[in-house]
Amino acid sequence: MRTIIITLLIAFSMIFASDQIPAPAQKKPILIQNGTLHTVSQGVLEQTDILFDKGIITRMAKSIDPGPEMVVIDAHGKHIYPGLIASISTLGLVEVSAVRATVDYNEVGGNTPEVRANASYNPDSELIPITRSNGVLFVNTTPSGGVITGQSSLMAMDGWTWEDATANHPTALHINWPNMRINPNPDFKTSVKDQEANRLKALKELDVLIDRVRHYQTMMDNSPNKRPHDVAHDLRLEAMIPYVNGEKPFFVHAFDARQIEAAVLWSIKQDLKIVIVGGWDAWRVTQILVDNQIPVIVEGILRLPRRRNSDYREAYALPARLHEAGVSFCISTAGNAFQAPHVRDLPNHAAMAAAFGLPLDVALRSITLSAAEILGVADRIGSLDVGKEASLFIADGDILEITSHVEQAFIFGSTTDMNDRHKTLYRKYQKKYRQLGILK
Amino acid sequence: MDIQLIDLSRFRYGVSNVINYRCIMKILILLVSCGGLLFGQTEPLIDIMHVNPRVFVLQNATVHIEPGNTISNASIAMRDGIIEQVGSRISVPKDATIIDLQGAQIYAGFIDGWFEVKTKEVKQTARSHWIDLVHPEWVASDYYSPDTKVVNDLRSLGFTQIHAVPDDGIFRGQSSVIDLDDDNSIAVPVVSQVLDFKNRAWGSRDYPGSLLGTIAVMRQTLYDADWYGRSQAIYAKHPDKNESIKANLALKVLAKAQADKTPFIIKTGQEAAALRAMDIAREFGLKLWLLGSGFEYRRLSEISKEKPFIILPVNFPGKPDISKPFRANQYTTDQLKHWDLAPDNARKLVAAGVQIGFTTKGLKKREQFRKNLSAAVRRGLSEDAALAGLTTAPAKQFGLSKTHGKIKPGYQASLVVVEGNYFDDSNPVRSVWIRGNKYDVEPAADLLLPGKWDFSLKGLTGHLEFKGKPSKLSGALIFEKTTLVLKHLNLDGNRVSWSVELDTNNIAGVSRFTGILANDILRGTVVQANDDEFSWTATNFILFPTDEPEIIEDSASDLVVVYPEGAYGLEQIPDQPHSVFINDATIWTSGPKGILKGWDMLVVDGKIKQIAQHIKPPKNNPVVIDGRGKFITAGLIDCHSHSAAASINEGAQSVTAEVRIQDVLDPDDINIYRELAGGLTTINILHGSANTIGGQNAVIKLRWGSNAKGLILKQAPQGIKFALGENVKQSNWGDDFKTRYPQTRMGVEQILRDAFTRARDYQNNWQVYHKTSKWRKTLVPPRKDLELDALVEVLAGERLVHCHSYRQDEILMLSRVAEDFGFTIGTFQHVLEGYKVAERIAEHGAGASTFTDWWAYKFEVYDAIPYNGTLMQDAGVLVSFNSDSGELARRMNLEAAKGVKYGGMSEIDALNTVTINPAKQLKIDNWVGSLEEGKDADFVVWTGHPLSTQTICEQTWIDGLQYFSHKKDAALLARDKALRSKLIQKILLTEDRGNTPLEPPPPLDESDHNCLAHDDVLWEEGLK
Repeated sequence: MRTIIITLLIAFSMIFASDQIPAPAQKKPILIQNGTLHTVSQGVLEQTDILFDKGIITRMAKSIDPGPEMVVIDAHGKHIYPGLIASISTLGLVEVSAVRATVDYNEVGGNTPEVRANASYNPDSELIPITRSNGVLFVNTTPSGGVITGQSSLMAMDGWTWEDATANHPTALHINWPNMRINPNPDFKTSVKDQEANRLKALKELDVLIDRVRHYQTMMDNSPNKRPHDVAHDLRLEAMIPYVNGEKPFFVHAFDARQIEAAVLWSIKQDLKIVIVGGWDAWRVTQILVDNQIPVIVEGILRLPRRRNSDYREAYALPARLHEAGVSFCISTAGNAFQAPHVRDLPNHAAMAAAFGLPLDVALRSITLSAAEILGVADRIGSLDVGKEASLFIADGDILEITSHVEQAFIFGSTTDMNDRHKTLYRKYQKKYRQLGILK
Repeated sequence: MDIQLIDLSRFRYGVSNVINYRCIMKILILLVSCGGLLFGQTEPLIDIMHVNPRVFVLQNATVHIEPGNTISNASIAMRDGIIEQVGSRISVPKDATIIDLQGAQIYAGFIDGWFEVKTKEVKQTARSHWIDLVHPEWVASDYYSPDTKVVNDLRSLGFTQIHAVPDDGIFRGQSSVIDLDDDNSIAVPVVSQVLDFKNRAWGSRDYPGSLLGTIAVMRQTLYDADWYGRSQAIYAKHPDKNESIKANLALKVLAKAQADKTPFIIKTGQEAAALRAMDIAREFGLKLWLLGSGFEYRRLSEISKEKPFIILPVNFPGKPDISKPFRANQYTTDQLKHWDLAPDNARKLVAAGVQIGFTTKGLKKREQFRKNLSAAVRRGLSEDAALAGLTTAPAKQFGLSKTHGKIKPGYQASLVVVEGNYFDDSNPVRSVWIRGNKYDVEPAADLLLPGKWDFSLKGLTGHLEFKGKPSKLSGALIFEKTTLVLKHLNLDGNRVSWSVELDTNNIAGVSRFTGILANDILRGTVVQANDDEFSWTATNFILFPTDEPEIIEDSASDLVVVYPEGAYGLEQIPDQPHSVFINDATIWTSGPKGILKGWDMLVVDGKIKQIAQHIKPPKNNPVVIDGRGKFITAGLIDCHSHSAAASINEGAQSVTAEVRIQDVLDPDDINIYRELAGGLTTINILHGSANTIGGQNAVIKLRWGSNAKGLILKQAPQGIKFALGENVKQSNWGDDFKTRYPQTRMGVEQILRDAFTRARDYQNNWQVYHKTSKWRKTLVPPRKDLELDALVEVLAGERLVHCHSYRQDEILMLSRVAEDFGFTIGTFQHVLEGYKVAERIAEHGAGASTFTDWWAYKFEVYDAIPYNGTLMQDAGVLVSFNSDSGELARRMNLEAAKGVKYGGMSEIDALNTVTINPAKQLKIDNWVGSLEEGKDADFVVWTGHPLSTQTICEQTWIDGLQYFSHKKDAALLARDKALRSKLIQKILLTEDRGNTPLEPPPPLDESDHNCLAHDDVLWEEGLK
């Protein structure tokens, strides 16, 4: 019997010696014994073993025999979760938002459907190990800025290169829906009439663009390609074809009820697949979302209510209201660059939603399987199921409680380096105080 | 001089036929523009003597002698601009022209209480104040240049005088009362000092850049003026012993104003500004007036305590656009309420004993003035009070009580003649008299009245019709089969003209008509297209009946004012129950007793009386909280907040120790309520971090519903905000900000050393000055400097320094600078690299108030780690976790939980980071921060373990008073929902009255900022 039984403690001490080395591919089957499996898809399985090999979950059962060559981890009293998924973030495209040289999420040009997130994702960003340290193993990295911002990529929180780290590309094409708010103040620089006209114009422009993509495709598909000028490519229009054809979804960033309604009507009219991102007013327009089966990525639960007279719970209780109304949704941290270093707080957002009415299991689902469904990767990740990728982690408690710790993560079966910049600095300065005799 | 012929026959009431020939001749050459040479006038005669006879008797009118004293069928005799007699029986002077005003009502001329005069850009001179917004020496009348249209508009509302104020600045200058006659006579050259809480826009490099700074400028300038006055006197006596004082006209004028008890009128834009103005007036013993905001009813009890004279605008908000539900959502509840309550503001002020005047200020269309004032009267403002506000009240305040405001012998003949009651706005103002000169409001109004004439032209007969007002007349020629609309219809003096396509005598083309009215016949000539001329006549005029004036039903609002106004406001702060009894709860004391399971707590008179295992409940009807299953903690404390303040950063200078958060507290901030709902009870409101030495902080309790003063935690020691690093050296502000000292951390240190060296010198100068009594008589005293006063208090250990800091080098540096100057830093704020120099912080004796896990938003926080709090605590530093964000402040218990997560703080220690530790850091731990006998009963009832994400705050108590509970919250939500729907119904059913609606605020979440709100983000937004 050559079973290697390691304790998590030993694993840690080895890991801390190094500087966050991307993990090699899974070489040996790993068996995690006696943990509480939060499968998401099939409830909580107490005292159950999980086995995965070559990056795929192969078995989940009570008392799986540790076979030869298996790495066995005793997870008695521990909790096993599928990797958490942050659906919207600029992670990897920004290191320090105030330092312009490190900012890569906003291309100029207004409409930039051609840009893709993963190609400038920095796999050596210090933010990545921080993020996975709290169980967030997948982030849908998203360009922002302008109207059509670009294409997002689902990134695994490990890898030597951006190609290694790309879990899926593209996820979606992102649109910042035009502002629909009217300022009725007669002193405002634009009259209500003009504002309404501008609003219509902005929406019209989107329609024109979609039509142009369709014309472009017709032209390219049927070009005789005989004379020298028959073909002239347009990268922008080209990039939009799969989205306009309905193969891939548009992720429409819309917060106000009027924006959400308009975006849904647009998708019906243009026969497009869309997902609402943001969705802060979504509770006001649940019917149209349910009727048209449009999912919502709720951006940020830990935020202020929208208006002075709003219920103080407005943001916290939004997921519960969507759940009750039957809207499919997932929860993400906010997508702005300021939040990129704080994607690790994703479970806290879901936890707050749970405190304000969302059932706990749905809260967990909202950052795992529901996110995977909306991002189109539910066949691979988002739950603990045989046949799915072994992207999961072991925690010492309920991941929806802040006080819990993630002890070990596995991404596609690979044992992830759990060190990060913060732990490194923590240890470094613990040493200082030991030198000074202040700490033992 | 402009000579104008006045045909008095146009005057609707006509001139009595007693006028003799000589009189008519006089009237025909009446000089209106200037009444000839006035007594006392100094200009030389231009040609030959002009005489403007101003001897009149106005008869048969209802005369409002003064508010509350009206005589019907009365006459007024005036001579040379002065009223000689008033009464029902007067002796008519033989030389008087008699004007019959049957049916008219006469009021004393009205005074527009606030009229902004455009001041011109004035170059700074050697005697100017160093801040170009401070120019109290300017005088409004020096800049007044009348605009005919504006003057006519004002006269047509009955105004005969304006209180003119300079239009710009903090100390704008001096106001004047100016007559609205064509001479622009100045009735009172200097009335008051005019102040405004104006500041420059965000990001301006000139001081002051905020409300904080503006108030500091007001205070410092008034201190300076006092110093200047005293010092100049000493210098004048002892020029041999003193250096001459730099001349400053602004200070000179202000010193005189203070000595003369000149009123100071402060412009307010909201009720909070009125309270701020009252604070300043109290500090300096100023005689205070206010330009009102229209929101005074929201803080009526505070305002009516001091009763400043308030000049009220009547710019009531127009109907909010609530036709579409989503658009209606944009309006806050207080805005909707203000729509209904604004017209009652004047009545409420009067009822509270506040003297008011009125102004047209703030109205987009001046003609709304009467409509709105009439609406206020219909809603219960007494006509006497309204009239007093237009006449006697401003006259008295402006020093004109012996000459203006009443119709009495010896008073100025400044009158308003109205075709009925002024406060029924359907009665037009016919004319105003100013100093005995009459100004018709609608001259030549009667030549063409709306009506119908029989028209005949060379055998062609039909009708001629006119419709509309004289200024907007339309007309038509109506024949049996055709109606021809008159084009180019024009009234020029008493001649009317038009053109019309009239196919007469088979001459096609446009015919041009002119005509005059005489002896009730309108007659004239028509020139046909072929240039042939014919005469036409129109006779048998029939006046069209005027439209019945719309009767507007209006009654006072039945809405109850709540505190603060709008959503979640309270009708009154609930009474403190005598005792509160909590039984069988899990009590996290944050004190020596630790965590107590199943214990009782008794609160009496707002203090914790007892915490014990079994307490006998008191008999006198205590409020009982069943603590079974509940967790009780001390009210949470946030050591770094920017909630409840109307202004945060005075960033225009590197050292602004003079500015004070206490001046700008905003008790209406909804964040107070939301933070209460998260169990927060005490916050430390800090100045922002835009400069090295920022302003003075304020420690408050979240007493929702109280006014600004009521928020302050009185026992809290004073403090001040410092800041280091990227913000103060403007690293992230863009390329335009590369010149202010400091641009490096090296410079930051020197700014600090320089400031404290100056403070030490200043302190020293005062000590020396006070030492020798002889010097006090002969030497110019040191100038009181609010900035250095605050720093002297820091040196003396009386003012706690809370320093925004990130990098270890700067933390170490500040600790050394402080030690060099002999004081200890109160807290390092943020202190994200505190873990690198924790032993130094501990040795220095400062507290550390940090974010739990924020990092990487700017370069200096790239080494920030969430283990910071634990590591510092392990090294012996007193640690608190703070929010720096209205959002985060709602869940400080969960921030505390991060102490457990990162580095393994004990649960008690973790909770203490948001209870007793910040209390100790703020030196308020004798009163708050833990549940101990004798302390304030500030506590939270939690549904579960306070560090669990699944726990929510159920009740929040401050001083033994419940400020938040789920039950109350539900009731307030329901109340506000019902209120909004009721108001929206009312708005939908009310006619639009032409007022300008309020602008709804943008959604709060879109303007929300996290912890950088007052660092980079706010600044960047402000700059763009």
